[in-house]
Amino acid sequence: MIQLIDELKVIPGVIGACIVNFQDGLKVTNLPAIFKPERLLVVGHHLLKLFSAGRESFSDLTDITLNYDESVVVARELETGTLVFVICDPTFNHNLMAMSLNLLQEEYKLGDFAAEVAPAVIAAQPQADMSGKMQDLLEEMKGTLSKILGPMAGFIFDEVAEEWIEQGVSDFSRIEVLIDLLNQEISDQDKIDSYRQLISPALKTFQKG
Amino acid sequence: MEGVAGCLLVKDDGVLLGRALDDAETYTSLMLTAAGLAGNIMDKVGFSYCRYVSFNRTNNQTFYVFPIDQYLLGIVQKADCSVADMLERVYQLIGRVSTDGTRTVS
Repeated sequence: MIQLIDELKVIPGVIGACIVNFQDGLKVTNLPAIFKPERLLVVGHHLLKLFSAGRESFSDLTDITLNYDESVVVARELETGTLVFVICDPTFNHNLMAMSLNLLQEEYKLGDFAAEVAPAVIAAQPQADMSGKMQDLLEEMKGTLSKILGPMAGFIFDEVAEEWIEQGVSDFSRIEVLIDLLNQEISDQDKIDSYRQLISPALKTFQKG
Repeated sequence: MEGVAGCLLVKDDGVLLGRALDDAETYTSLMLTAAGLAGNIMDKVGFSYCRYVSFNRTNNQTFYVFPIDQYLLGIVQKADCSVADMLERVYQLIGRVSTDGTRTVS
């Protein structure tokens, strides 16, 4: 996978690039060591959130550019939950970068890198030992949360669910703990009540089996 | 302004102050999210100031978010304009209206 981003680095003005997956963490980077992996992972997660929010407004979203005084960050989603971001000098060539990212995206798809089990630079987030039925319920709760919290709901839910998974067994016996954590994020009693009302049918269906 | 298809101005607490496009509320939440996350990335990496965040689209109607003190300016770019010229005009405008010379984001 490193060759994918090494090709970006030959573009004038490019400092380096990084591929981040929301679940697996930092997959690969060729940025200078001053960019600590832990920080790059956080940046990647912020960019994934930004992409998620952007796609809510623009279904044809291709790239996101963050233009800072010192540098420019260009991010493109390679597949759901995985993105490449490039840090460049402000003088970089936009058209050349867009074309190179198009090529990288094609190579990524053709190379089946999505399925590659890369040695994670940063430890992957804890994986839940969870039944398929439980996962379906969480997906439904996640979808419902977007009706309450809007575009950021997906990532808020993922972060809360991750915290919930870390705290204990991820099964229905602790579902109220998860709902309490989500309620803290919603932090508006009317919306909390609405969310409870909206997810109640799914909870009842799960309980009935 | 030449090159601008629509725009809106939002205070950093989410209050919509003015609009010249449809579906302003949709853009408002995206602008607040963008400014917040751009500020977080800035702090994490150590950049000093975010000029803008742009959402680039296949229809070339890029959406820009410019942080201006306690406000956020959102601009939808015309598909067939000169981006460099449009950005220059926006920078000139921001330079004129910026309230205290300090430049912050989020």
